[in-house]
Amino acid sequence: MNFLKILARNLALGPSTDPFPFGETFTPKGLRGRVEFDAENCTACRYCEQVCIGGAIRFSKTPEGMRFLLWHNTCTFCGLCEFYCPTHAIHLTEDWHLAHGNEDKYAMVENGLLPTIVCTQCGAEAIAIAPNPTAFKEPATEGQKEQYRHLCARCRRKFLQGAL
Amino acid sequence: MVDTIILLAAVLVFPGGLFVLALGLGLKGVDRRIAARLQRRVGPPLLQPFFDLVKLAGKRTLVPEDACAPVFLGAPLVGVVAMMVAAALIPIQGVYTPSPILGDLLVLFYLMVVPAVVLMVAGSSSGSPYGAIGFSREMTMMLSYEVPIVLVVVAVALRTGMGQGDGITFSLTEIVHYQQIHGAFLLDPAMWPAFLAFLAFLPANLGIAPFDIPEAETEVLEGPLLEYSGPALGLFKAMAAIKTVVVLSLGICLFLPNAPDGLAGLAVQILKLLVVMTIGMTLLRVSLGRMRIDQGFAFFLKLPMALSIAGLAAAALV
Amino acid sequence: MSLTRSQIVRSLSARSPWLYRINAGSCNGCDVELATTACIPRYDVERLGCQYCGSPKHADIVLITGPMTVRVKDKVLRLYEEIPDPKVTVAVGICPISGGVFRESYAVCGAMDQFLPIDVNVPGCPPRPQAILEGVAKAIAVWKERL
Repeated sequence: MNFLKILARNLALGPSTDPFPFGETFTPKGLRGRVEFDAENCTACRYCEQVCIGGAIRFSKTPEGMRFLLWHNTCTFCGLCEFYCPTHAIHLTEDWHLAHGNEDKYAMVENGLLPTIVCTQCGAEAIAIAPNPTAFKEPATEGQKEQYRHLCARCRRKFLQGAL
Repeated sequence: MVDTIILLAAVLVFPGGLFVLALGLGLKGVDRRIAARLQRRVGPPLLQPFFDLVKLAGKRTLVPEDACAPVFLGAPLVGVVAMMVAAALIPIQGVYTPSPILGDLLVLFYLMVVPAVVLMVAGSSSGSPYGAIGFSREMTMMLSYEVPIVLVVVAVALRTGMGQGDGITFSLTEIVHYQQIHGAFLLDPAMWPAFLAFLAFLPANLGIAPFDIPEAETEVLEGPLLEYSGPALGLFKAMAAIKTVVVLSLGICLFLPNAPDGLAGLAVQILKLLVVMTIGMTLLRVSLGRMRIDQGFAFFLKLPMALSIAGLAAAALV
Repeated sequence: MSLTRSQIVRSLSARSPWLYRINAGSCNGCDVELATTACIPRYDVERLGCQYCGSPKHADIVLITGPMTVRVKDKVLRLYEEIPDPKVTVAVGICPISGGVFRESYAVCGAMDQFLPIDVNVPGCPPRPQAILEGVAKAIAVWKERL
């Protein structure tokens, strides 16, 4: 007769139903939802593309610069990209409202453009890297960092040697 | 002519037909709501069965290639009509007394077998193997629960007849009348075994857990109803709703018909239906799992059978 | 505001969407979430009037999980044909939407919308129950238009 006790308790406690979709619901802290990409911080190391399980992340070279593309419809929300990103340019938000009509299927993307710059030293084309490059150890002034960002790969190496 | 119109009204409007359909769907809504509350859910709106029926009326009916179309589509109609007539046969104390032309307990008894037979016909005419399994299970269940219920009904008829001094009576009006004067059979200890046997019969006849074996959704995909869609399925749902009211009010009639006259009588009747449904159907449904067909069959051959035989003996001897 | 009869019928019907699940080669993750949505009191789909049904012929809203695998393709298409109109299809999880992690596998046919008309997508691997509820709510809105 134990089940009668359980039923009586259930009746006394009342429904435990979440009001969603008619009202608000809870979102646990650290839920991995929609991906946010911050082109400002990206160094285009393409580590995220490498570790992406679903193959959701693509980098492509275009005349304007390096394009970042993430399609949520093949993303498993595993969070590896965020874990491996050295400059915290990629971040999984807690937004899980991703249900959409099929007409928006290919609009469920996160875009980013890493524009091409011209090296201030030699004039070659390059990609501007994150404002806080990991290769750059303290002490370095803000001016030096800014200078470093606007160099091509070869000149960066020279610059680092000079700084050391 | 006037008699015919009154009879037709009894079958089609009150207490059969529309009234009993609305009542059955309302009861079903309350049942789902209570079941949800017992499981700590909010549950569907009270009018959900009406919405379901309206929706089903608007859907397309598919007839399987292997099915025998006239039988396949005619079966639910026969079931609904039989149940409407059955509802018009049952008196509501203080409100409605059925015309003796319609029939007595024995006719009601035959009519109550119709839904089960209709389900069997539907299952076997659909051409689906699941329907065939449902058919065989429905048949097995029917064979097992029919014997106890016959004995229960005979016990009540015998008790009434002996009380009146003329052996046995199968008139429901007389049974109700007798109890109204001499007190309900539910308060008579000699009738308790029969009442318990009736409580066991209730979920089996209505296809409710633990005896929803023929229509087991997770095993045989609703068995006989598998191939039905649209309005035909809606008719089956209507049939089930009416059948719920018929079986419950038969129980009330046999064991606890006492009620005041007029509208109060109707209110009391509905209240009784709600109470019997909550105890006899909803509580069982949410707390028990489904039996296997052999377990269900064996169960009815043991406990309810013994109870009903004891009930018959007690009704005749005590 | 006056309502015509068909509008009343439509708004009543839209409150009774019955759900049917098709597993097109899913890893069962999404199916577990669907079972969660159906069975756990916290997410009670019955509030929307939904009811999981065992037969495709009773269904109104179809929830498809899993990438379309080669072996299951014909069966899925046959099952889909058996669902009476009007119906709405919801792709649950990233597999039916794009192929997900199984994309470009030799055993997978590719995105589901090449074979069936899909109406609502619920991405996630698997999506959380609230997201599925949201998808079902979107599907009901689509279904109401179709009635």
